[in-house]
Amino acid sequence: MTGVATVARRVSEGLPEHLGAVPEPGPDPEVRLRVTTLGFERAAHVLRRAGARLITMLLAEAPEPSLMAAFALRGALVVLRAPTDGADPVTYGALSQTWPAARWAEQELVERFGVRPVGFSPGRSLTAADADLIERSVHGLDVFAIPYGPVRSGVFEAIQFQVQTGGESVLSLQTRLGFKHRGLERRFAGLPPERAVHVAERVAGIASVAYASAFSQAVERALGIEPTLDAQRWRVLYAELERMAAHLDVIAKEAETAALHVGQARFQILKERVTRLRARLTGSRFARGVIVPGGVRLQGGIGLDELLRSLDALEGDLAADRRLFVGTASMTDRLVGAGRLSRALVEEYCAVGPVARGSGVATDARHERPYGDYRRLGLQVVTERAGDAMARIEVRFGELFESLRILRQCVDHLRGHEGELATPLPRDGTGAAFGWAEAPQGELVIWVQVRDGLVDRVHVASPSLRNWALFDHAFPADVLTDFAFIEHSFGLTPSGADR
Amino acid sequence: MLRWIARGLSGGRVTTRYPRGGEPVPDGFRGRVDVLDAVGAEAELESVCPTGAISVGSSGGVSLDRGRCILCGECVRAAPGRFAFQARYETATRTRAGLIVPERDGDGDPPRRALGEAAAALRRSIHVRHIDCGSDGCEEWEIQALWNPYYDIQRLGFFLTAYPRHADVLLVTGGVTRPMRRPLERTWQVMPEPKALVAVGTDACSGGLAGESELVAGGVDRVLPVDVYVPGSPPSPIAIMHGLLLAVGLLAAGARAT
Repeated sequence: MTGVATVARRVSEGLPEHLGAVPEPGPDPEVRLRVTTLGFERAAHVLRRAGARLITMLLAEAPEPSLMAAFALRGALVVLRAPTDGADPVTYGALSQTWPAARWAEQELVERFGVRPVGFSPGRSLTAADADLIERSVHGLDVFAIPYGPVRSGVFEAIQFQVQTGGESVLSLQTRLGFKHRGLERRFAGLPPERAVHVAERVAGIASVAYASAFSQAVERALGIEPTLDAQRWRVLYAELERMAAHLDVIAKEAETAALHVGQARFQILKERVTRLRARLTGSRFARGVIVPGGVRLQGGIGLDELLRSLDALEGDLAADRRLFVGTASMTDRLVGAGRLSRALVEEYCAVGPVARGSGVATDARHERPYGDYRRLGLQVVTERAGDAMARIEVRFGELFESLRILRQCVDHLRGHEGELATPLPRDGTGAAFGWAEAPQGELVIWVQVRDGLVDRVHVASPSLRNWALFDHAFPADVLTDFAFIEHSFGLTPSGADR
Repeated sequence: MLRWIARGLSGGRVTTRYPRGGEPVPDGFRGRVDVLDAVGAEAELESVCPTGAISVGSSGGVSLDRGRCILCGECVRAAPGRFAFQARYETATRTRAGLIVPERDGDGDPPRRALGEAAAALRRSIHVRHIDCGSDGCEEWEIQALWNPYYDIQRLGFFLTAYPRHADVLLVTGGVTRPMRRPLERTWQVMPEPKALVAVGTDACSGGLAGESELVAGGVDRVLPVDVYVPGSPPSPIAIMHGLLLAVGLLAAGARAT
């Protein structure tokens, strides 16, 4: 990959000499650079100016205790690593002083690891939420605060939104996470990778395939193995079906919110059909237990011809239902112009997934850093420019058809497959690497450290956490009744953000 | 709008006939794990299970706690002669002990609360409230699915309500995280009698893979009395429907997990 090599050279040359950045070996397309904690902030800002998107920050133990930050930059995953040299507490200049995207990443470093970023002003907790704590940021006569959640008015996951309003318009919004913090990252430690993947699937269940794939890919990259071509194709197939179910879920919820009952029923039917297809292919309605580090485990399964027929039928119905949806004014009136996000804001917060693509930012892990069989499939990244809830729904409609196209390609390639589907892992392998996948909610990145064949440490950078930082700003000119439309158009999952 | 109505009529009936008729289960569906051979096991067998659902007695007798089972299949792969997946939807029981297989004597159903009789008086109009206490998000999808055209639980008289004071049944998902403990207790407290609590999913039954820690209570029954347990990771919509019917006494006590 010459592109990645170019990025590596340019980044090293672009960093001021006194920062003493030292390139370190890493599996392609990772570009690893060692800096000092003193130069960490400067180096991050040099990357930002070069157009890098911040993914996550973490504290790693191997090869030595280090502060790390990962960035996406032109097809490369740039990793800054600063050894902490036994400092307690670990200190460095806070990135979030000038870069809002680092806000919650640093909040986590403070809360979970006791790191002390200099210049960081602590915000609301991400791990220990309090349902009764009301915080006001707007003061004035007739301004009142409404806490939505954590017990929601419907079947939704626990999260709280504190809205301040003067009656109709949303004056300020605070997203409160942490009601579902289960400490799952610690649950990985000490397990062999083939068993740890069960934990990955349960971080955010509606993206089980994406989590299992990203985790498995990280293990495979850390241990230097490559799954067979067929295994990679099955992973793509399961991932695209998962994306379809999640996108159809979002669209059905928008129809439900607009009281468009037949529309709601139609999209629920399509989602259930995809879910049943997944159950028949894998034995699980969420395609759990089929992806393992090293490849896939096939269980159950139906014939490829039958799968193809199901996809054709889905496509026909989806096209008809989409035409009706976008042609129903009482539906689209609620979405057009609602929750408008500017491209600049999306870039500043390093948002990902349909939220970013709806504002014209063509970021998609399947395209930016193609993994598995996506390297051979020509993916069309769907974007819209308007930045409103309608644009995010249109992106999802476009991606549904794109998923169907990819699925057909997969089926074609899988014809006449034979041979091993899972490559055995080396018994006492050691290594560390990032793995990623484009989940339905956006780019998911997982850092895995393996020592003597056992998982040592895992860090999850969920798309939901990163996009929710932006949600507070999604109500520039909106009223309370737009709330549910805008929330669904983000399509995020609290379990992934809280872990 | 007329075009939507025409579109809605075009698909024909998709709704299941469950519980009056059966709902076909796809081949290879991993609904629950059965113990095929429960004798003469080594103690090491316990370590096969990532959630500690398997116990081996001193005389080598094997038991499996479905309330802990996340359907990962580790045991089925390690000891295919002892454990096997069953393509079954129904998994709910009225007692925690009833989730342990093979069944032991004396694990019969406990005395029921009065909701069953009340349900008859209400002409089977049951209002359901949900609260998430730390699920992985799957259970919410499967509960929502109960009101989609395939399952349409409204035809059986179940309605979703946003108000705990209107609710007869509380569906709880997740192993109860620390910040959700108080909201859970308060929601249950304001629900009028008679009422029933259904733990939906293995996490709600035992904590699942998140287990029991300073962050997670390790199951809803650590906080409140549970009337019906619906294990599964996640349980399918039919499994949840079966649990709801058990909770309101619309299924005979012996009808569990048939």
